[in-house]
Amino acid sequence: MALNVSTLKAEPNLYTPEMAALTEVVPQTELETLFKFELQSGNPLGHEPGQFVQVSCLGIGEAPISVSSMPCPEPTFDLCVRNVGNVTAALHNMTAGDAVGIRGPFGHGFPIDALKGKDLLFVAGGIGLVPVRSLIQMVLANRDEYAAVTILYGFKTPGEMLFRDEIAQWQEREDVDLRLTVDKPHSDWDGHVGVITTLFPELEIQPDRTKAIVVGPPIMYRFVLQECKLKGIGDDDIILSLERRMRCGVGKCGHCQINNKYVCQDGPVFTYNDIKFMWEAI
Amino acid sequence: MTLRAIDYQAVLALIQSLMQEAKVVAPHQREGERQWSFEEVTEPANVCLEYTSTVLPPKKYAFPTQERFLRYELGESPKAEPIIEAEPLVLFGVHTCDIYALNCLDIAMTDEHVDPNWVARRKQMRIVGVDCLPDEYCFCASMGTATVHEGYDLFLTPVDGGYVVEVATEAGEEMLTNIPTKEATSAQVAQVKAHLNKKMQQEHKLDCDVSTLPLHFSGVADSELWEQHAERCYSCGTCNLVCPTCICYDVLEQLNLALDGGERVRVWDSCMLEEFATVATGENFREERSQRLRHRFFRKYSYLFTRYGQPYCCGCGRCVRQCLVHIDPVPILNDVIAESQKGATVRGA
Repeated sequence: MALNVSTLKAEPNLYTPEMAALTEVVPQTELETLFKFELQSGNPLGHEPGQFVQVSCLGIGEAPISVSSMPCPEPTFDLCVRNVGNVTAALHNMTAGDAVGIRGPFGHGFPIDALKGKDLLFVAGGIGLVPVRSLIQMVLANRDEYAAVTILYGFKTPGEMLFRDEIAQWQEREDVDLRLTVDKPHSDWDGHVGVITTLFPELEIQPDRTKAIVVGPPIMYRFVLQECKLKGIGDDDIILSLERRMRCGVGKCGHCQINNKYVCQDGPVFTYNDIKFMWEAI
Repeated sequence: MTLRAIDYQAVLALIQSLMQEAKVVAPHQREGERQWSFEEVTEPANVCLEYTSTVLPPKKYAFPTQERFLRYELGESPKAEPIIEAEPLVLFGVHTCDIYALNCLDIAMTDEHVDPNWVARRKQMRIVGVDCLPDEYCFCASMGTATVHEGYDLFLTPVDGGYVVEVATEAGEEMLTNIPTKEATSAQVAQVKAHLNKKMQQEHKLDCDVSTLPLHFSGVADSELWEQHAERCYSCGTCNLVCPTCICYDVLEQLNLALDGGERVRVWDSCMLEEFATVATGENFREERSQRLRHRFFRKYSYLFTRYGQPYCCGCGRCVRQCLVHIDPVPILNDVIAESQKGATVRGA
C-alpha cells in the first residue's frame, strides 16, 4: 500500500462519544439556553478556549457546539446553545440528569500565548459571545497576565443578551472596559444604540499592542474588520472564529471545508491573515 | 519485481483458490449492457477482466455507500460503542486508476486522525490489478495514473494467451502458491510494454503537466468559466457519487422501532448538492451551483493536491461517463489552464 495502513495507530473510538450528564439548565433568552454538563469519566474535558465538541443526542443526531466555559480541572463544562436544529431542539427538551454524548474537544482554540501581555479587544455579536466567553473567563481569572481588556458586545434587542449575571460582574470590574449596544432603539434599553461598529469611534486603541478577538455572524465580520483596520490593528492581530456545517469533527467528512482549510481541524479559530485571501471564508 | 506468465485457465484457478479463503469481488458485465460493476464472485468464469470502467469504483468495499459505525442504547444509562465491520476481501481485476484512488484515500483517511473503519477494511484487503485500454472518457495518461507502483499485491497485463503477472508483495506471492505460472518470456515482457504504450495514446488529455495544475488554479477563482460550465449542471451530485476519490459523507441516525436504541450510519454525500454547506441557521456558504462546481474542482486539483501532494482525481472519467449533461473535467481543466496562461501573459506584459 502507498501508505502502510497496518502500521498506523488506530483510533477505535474516534467516532464514539463519551457520556456526560446534564447537571443544570440555565435559561438565557427565548432561543438560547446554557447547559452545564459533567463527564461520566470524571476526567476534565481538557479543552482550550475556542475549541468545540460534537454533542450527541443519541437517537436524534450530533452537532458541533463551542465550549462556553474556561478550562478547569473538574469534569464540568458549559455549552450555550441556540434552539435552531433537531439536535439543539432535543437538548432544549432535556432536564437535569439526562445524558448526552460528547466527542472532542476538536480544532484549534484561541492562541493564548500570543495574547499574553497584550491589550485585548473582544468584539462579540449575538451568539458570537458563546465561544468568546470561555476566553474572557480565562483572561479575567488570570487578569494580571494581560494588559487592557475591552469587551464590545452587540445584540439585536435587549431580550437577546446572554450571560446577564456574569456580564453584570464584568461591568463592575474596574479592570474591564465593557460596552454594550443593541441594534435598534428599544423601550427596555437605555444604553448605547446602534450596530457594533458604532462603538469603535470612541475607542482608544494602541494598535501595536492590541489583539482583537472578533466573533459574530458572517455579516458582522466585514464591517468590524474595516473598523479594526481603521484603528491600525494588524491582520495577524485580528482573531476570528468561523462556523460551518460539520459531521465528523476530524477532517474527513468534507462539510466544513473553506478553500484549502478544514474548519474542524485548522480552525475554528483563525487569524484574519489566515483567511483574508480565502474567498469562501466570510 | 517478479514477472510471471499465467494463462486464462490458471487465472480461473487463482480466483477459485482465493474464494476458498476470502470473499472475492471482481468486475462483472451487467446483463445486456455495456456496463460493469464490482460484485462478489460466485463463478470465476463470470468474472470479466476486459472492461473499460465500472459504474461505481471499488472504493465501495473500503468505504461502503452506507456504513453503520456506532451502536447505542437509550434508557436510564445510555451508552454507545463503535461498530467496525471488516472481513478478509480480495479485490480482483482493479484498474490502475482505482488503485491510485484507494492509495489517495489512505492518506486522507489517516491524516491527523486515523479513521478506524477505513483502516480495518484496508488492512484485510488484498488487490489484484489488471491493465486496460482507455475509452474516449479516460484521461489517466494525463493524470499520471495509467501506471501505479504500489497498492496492489498482483498486477495482470494481458498478453497473447493470458497475462503477465507482476508479483508485488509477499501476499501476492502466497496467492500464487499452487497456481501454475511460468517465467515471463522476453516476448511477453515486450508485449507488456507495448500494451502500456497503447494505453498511453489518449486524445482526451490535459494541456499541461499534471504537477503544475495547482499553479494554474491559483488565479482562476473569479473566472467566468465556473458559471459558464455550471450553466448546464443539474447539481445532482452523480459526479461525486461515482468518483473513486470522493470521500465526503453525511451522518444519519437510525433509531430502532422500539425507540430504545439504534445505530449511527455514514452515507456518501456530495458537495454539488445545495445543502452541503448549509448550517442550522440557514446560512449557505456555497449557495450558487457555480460555487459548488468550482469547489469540486478546487478540492480535487488544488486543495487536496496541495495538502497531500497529489491530485485527488484518478482520470477514470466516471464523472463525465455518468453525467446527464456530459460535463467533462478535461475541457474545464483546459479552460483553467488557458485562463491562467492568459492571466500570466497580461501580468507579464
